[in-house]
Amino acid sequence: MSIDRREAAAALSDIADISRRVRQSRIYQISSLMLMLWGPLVMAGYVVSWLQPTYGGYAWVAINLIGIAGTFAISARDHASTGTRSFDVRVAAAFLLFFGFGLLWSVGMLHFTARQLGAFWPTYIMLVYTIVGLWIGAAFVAIGLGITVLTLLGYFFIGDWFELWMAVVNGGGLLLGGLWMRRN
Amino acid sequence: MAGLDEIIHQPLRLRIMAALTALPEAQGMDFPRLKKLTGATDGNLGAHIETLSKTGYVDVAKAFVGKKPQTTVTATATGRGAFARHVATLREIIAGAGE
Repeated sequence: MSIDRREAAAALSDIADISRRVRQSRIYQISSLMLMLWGPLVMAGYVVSWLQPTYGGYAWVAINLIGIAGTFAISARDHASTGTRSFDVRVAAAFLLFFGFGLLWSVGMLHFTARQLGAFWPTYIMLVYTIVGLWIGAAFVAIGLGITVLTLLGYFFIGDWFELWMAVVNGGGLLLGGLWMRRN
Repeated sequence: MAGLDEIIHQPLRLRIMAALTALPEAQGMDFPRLKKLTGATDGNLGAHIETLSKTGYVDVAKAFVGKKPQTTVTATATGRGAFARHVATLREIIAGAGE
């Protein structure tokens, strides 16, 4: 059997396309679990901040710790079933740098108010979603831009109901995004 | 040049092998997902999976998840090796070594 260069190139292009879609599907699979974990947690964080503003800070610390532990658990389960690591030392370092930078400016240098913090963290995190989405899939771009726009709308136009707005927009947005990724 | 693998070269079987070898080793893919990825019909996909299975390139496992039957297809080590050689040959053809 012999084929020419054009046919060989078409076959390789077909292979590359399928491989890319399988990789994207694996990323969506694990990301959907993480989004469905973080969505309700974030929702709970905003609701507690609205009901008990004094304890909001403590609630967010607890929620972040639960979320990070859950993220590790999902990653470990994925590693056990597939043999590939989705969370290694470099990813952990990237998380530390990312959150370190955010804390440095929002708390250390500029002393943001609770409302400013409530808008800063989601838009900062969604910036990463949007940038990462340019490489790994349009769903991340849609979630990133959608939540960013709704957060800014809430920050400027939704007075005292901002935390509840964010519970729905940010927590609900992550949860719906996770469910959508899972279905696709 | 090792030569093209006639079993794998058929377009749908090439897509099936590309999808299965993109997964981590020993991880399989269920029939509906494979169907969606390759764009094949049920009958067509089933027939080509059988061809690949007879050659020893894939393993087919049937099980019940709840009350629903589920077919999972996994690339074997032999299949992965054959696919890698096939891809290497395609690259050689493009590079001009096949002329």
